[in-house]
Amino acid sequence: MKLGSFLLRRLLLSIFVIFGLSIVIFVIARVVPGDPARLALGPRAPAEVVERLRQEMYLDKPLPVQYYYWIKGVFSGDFGRSLVTKRPVLEDIKEYLPATMELAIFAGILMAIFAILLGTLAARFRDTWIDGLIRIMSYFGVAIPAFVVAVIFMMVFGYFWPVLPALGRLSPGMTPPATITGMLTFDSLIQGNFATFWDAFKHLILPAVALSLGGLFQEARITRSSMVDNMHKDFLAAERGYGIPERVIMFKYLLKPSLIPTASVMGLDFASLLGNAFLVEMIFNWPGISRYGISAMLHKDLNAISAVIIIFGAVFVVVNIIVDIIVAFLDPRIRLSTAKGT
Amino acid sequence: MKHNRIKNIFKNGIYLFLVLCLLLGLPLISSCAGPSQPTQTPTSPSATPSSPSPTPTKEEVKVIRHTDSWPCYIDPAVGSDYVASISLCNLYDSLVFPNPDGSVKPWLAKSWTVSDDGLTYTFNLQQGVKFHNGDELTAEDVVFSLQRIMAIGEGYGYLFTTSVKEAKALDKYTVQFTLEKPFGPFLGVLVRLYILNKKQVMANIQKDGPYGEFGDYGKGWLVTHDAGSGPYMIKDMKTEEYVLMERFDDYWAGWENKDAPKYVKEIGTTEAITVRTLMSRGELEITDQWQTSENLDAISKLPNTDLCSFFEGSVLNIMINTKKAPTDDIHFRKALAYCVDYQQIIDKVFPGSRASTAIPASVPGYNPNLKPYSLDLTKAEEELKQSPYYGKLDQYPFELHWVSEVPDEEKIALMVQANAAKLGIKVNVVKVPWASVVDNLAKPETTPNGVIIFVSAHYAEAGSLLESRYHSRSCGTWEQGEWLQDPEIDSMIEDAIATVNLKERFQKYYAVQEKIFDLCPTIWVLEQAVRQAYRKDYVVFPAAEAMKQGMPVNPVMGYNFYYRDFKVFPEKAQQPYTSFQP
Repeated sequence: MKLGSFLLRRLLLSIFVIFGLSIVIFVIARVVPGDPARLALGPRAPAEVVERLRQEMYLDKPLPVQYYYWIKGVFSGDFGRSLVTKRPVLEDIKEYLPATMELAIFAGILMAIFAILLGTLAARFRDTWIDGLIRIMSYFGVAIPAFVVAVIFMMVFGYFWPVLPALGRLSPGMTPPATITGMLTFDSLIQGNFATFWDAFKHLILPAVALSLGGLFQEARITRSSMVDNMHKDFLAAERGYGIPERVIMFKYLLKPSLIPTASVMGLDFASLLGNAFLVEMIFNWPGISRYGISAMLHKDLNAISAVIIIFGAVFVVVNIIVDIIVAFLDPRIRLSTAKGT
Repeated sequence: MKHNRIKNIFKNGIYLFLVLCLLLGLPLISSCAGPSQPTQTPTSPSATPSSPSPTPTKEEVKVIRHTDSWPCYIDPAVGSDYVASISLCNLYDSLVFPNPDGSVKPWLAKSWTVSDDGLTYTFNLQQGVKFHNGDELTAEDVVFSLQRIMAIGEGYGYLFTTSVKEAKALDKYTVQFTLEKPFGPFLGVLVRLYILNKKQVMANIQKDGPYGEFGDYGKGWLVTHDAGSGPYMIKDMKTEEYVLMERFDDYWAGWENKDAPKYVKEIGTTEAITVRTLMSRGELEITDQWQTSENLDAISKLPNTDLCSFFEGSVLNIMINTKKAPTDDIHFRKALAYCVDYQQIIDKVFPGSRASTAIPASVPGYNPNLKPYSLDLTKAEEELKQSPYYGKLDQYPFELHWVSEVPDEEKIALMVQANAAKLGIKVNVVKVPWASVVDNLAKPETTPNGVIIFVSAHYAEAGSLLESRYHSRSCGTWEQGEWLQDPEIDSMIEDAIATVNLKERFQKYYAVQEKIFDLCPTIWVLEQAVRQAYRKDYVVFPAAEAMKQGMPVNPVMGYNFYYRDFKVFPEKAQQPYTSFQP
């Protein structure tokens, strides 16, 4: 099977996954207690106004009919109107998704760089005090939830040592760049607006670092274990026999195959960042999709709940496909087997 | 050998040191690499928070930055909660303006007449009032605003849908409302009729809306824009982040108060650590009222920070289902009312609050002759002995629900449980999400014996709470878990509300309150104090000043944040203070 066919098959399967997810979440959102129309309009809204909203949202129709209207809307790019923000859900998503994506991408970059660096260091100096120190740091990093780190950061960098902005995506007085991707750092860079880039970047640091630490240390441990396992493989003994310097062996011949499990876990961690970011987003008042999703659930904002979960599902699917490609790149066995069609 | 080992440790450690520096030093590197942003850095990092001398030297922008909950609906036909009310009263004008004593004064309407039957109100409007875009405000705009809020029916719309029959512009500056039936508090209710610029709204409607020729009635556009004439106008609004309002220099009522804030920023967060950090950095003038007492106490210990507490007519109730055993018995209900330690709850859970009956003392029309229930286990036992359920209490547990989104309610539920146990009453405490609470209260059989809920007055008069809490019409909504359904009380409330004469109306309110008090359908736990921390060194907060002088504050929700009356002196700000640039 060629890589193209492999990807095509994965994509087709993914469509079924997302379709199934859409049905499940659509039903769950509607069977949990609470009348969304009454919750949105308050106890004193006249009955006819509540009824009008129910009709607008097709809540007076059976579930399959509601689903039909909803999925029809989704295919035409209309996720319906949010009961909380009172505007089309698509508009909300366009505004909030880039904010969380920017956070997740930055956190993902931090995870990738530092997990590999720390994991390699721990493996290179295994069973020394360096390995021990990284192990202890990893235990703390994995055990402490991101929101606790966020609170600590807020206390340290917001209160005792206020060197970084603690709130939002941009300082007051800064003009946001024209929207291209919706990610302020990317957009400002594309437009050559370095002052805005720097400001947006500084706003990213605290939430992104808080969000990345758990995954970072987990992946550092995985990298270390994988490298230590591979260290005694025959191909490394042969390379040492050829007199290849240890540094080259470490980074060129040992690291690459050792990154396969790390890449798989990193992909899942990255996708999880989107959903797990809500407390960090709340603490830093970051207007992201994760916080929006939680708010939608608390207010029983049906259209927003369904849309957010479908998007999270789609991101999971896409990230998994990317991970498969990366693993195929890292592992020649997989690459060759797909090329041979076995 | 030993020397080599130390050398190795040092050499190996350099790698780790470099990586850790890179990771942990990221914030430091970024902060030191050059300040590109114009604001948000402390005025003087070296100054200590307790520095006694005012530091701002340049011309500082007068600003009030205030945190509050989100979403904030700034459409007058949609918003009605606390943060919306604050925004609306600053962005828009109404025909009349509320006074601290509950009466109203002329505002957009410079005078008015009421027909003898109390059905027709004719208002003469101020001339030359400008909307924020420069258009003149006329009677047409008033009629449009009323029709719009009645058609949409959200927010404060219900105040008018049930009372107003029609509105018409008699001429450019005269408008007449005809009511369905006499409605005594109508003038007070008019503070919630915010006047929009018809022309501007109509220019921004989406045609494919549910309101016929009016399309969406401008609802989409008004989510983030204003069409008002109020003292402040929208400068910028980021959903889920903030509302930034700027002073409207051409405001028709003028700016006698030269120290009023030039900008007001309502920041959409109530996260404890965030609010505390903002306050500690001098990036916030006033906190929201949703902070826990522990967090408020901590914030109030920051330099130059004070606590302000006032009442706006919010009562914490334990609503008792009068249609379900054992709470269908009046003696059982009174026994419960006597076994609650109100003072303990006030002291420990809601500091600054005070005892209450059905109508709290801050709401005009409350009956001062009623003495709130207090802890008295002897009386509780006497009442319980008269109950038909006495002697078989184990068969009739009292199910008490508390709202999971309000953790403090659990403390109250547990206190009630502990005291009730002394009388042999078994209280089952149940944590329930708000959505389920609303669902449960829809029918008497699914309504629990007791449920703990805050309820506020919709307009500043006793009639509001009496109707929303005890009239049969409100059964099935979350505002009445009692299922009182008493025709006599219904007609007493209707009669009181229909009375145009204020003194007579208030007397009738007193009588309704006495009747309800005797039936004891509710345990009125307390009247909640609205508490927030604010910067006392450079902000004059009128409600805080009034409380200090023992004066009443405005009883209408949101109007204690009418920023036109605030004074800000950034030049007097002591550290920490962070400059504001819009």
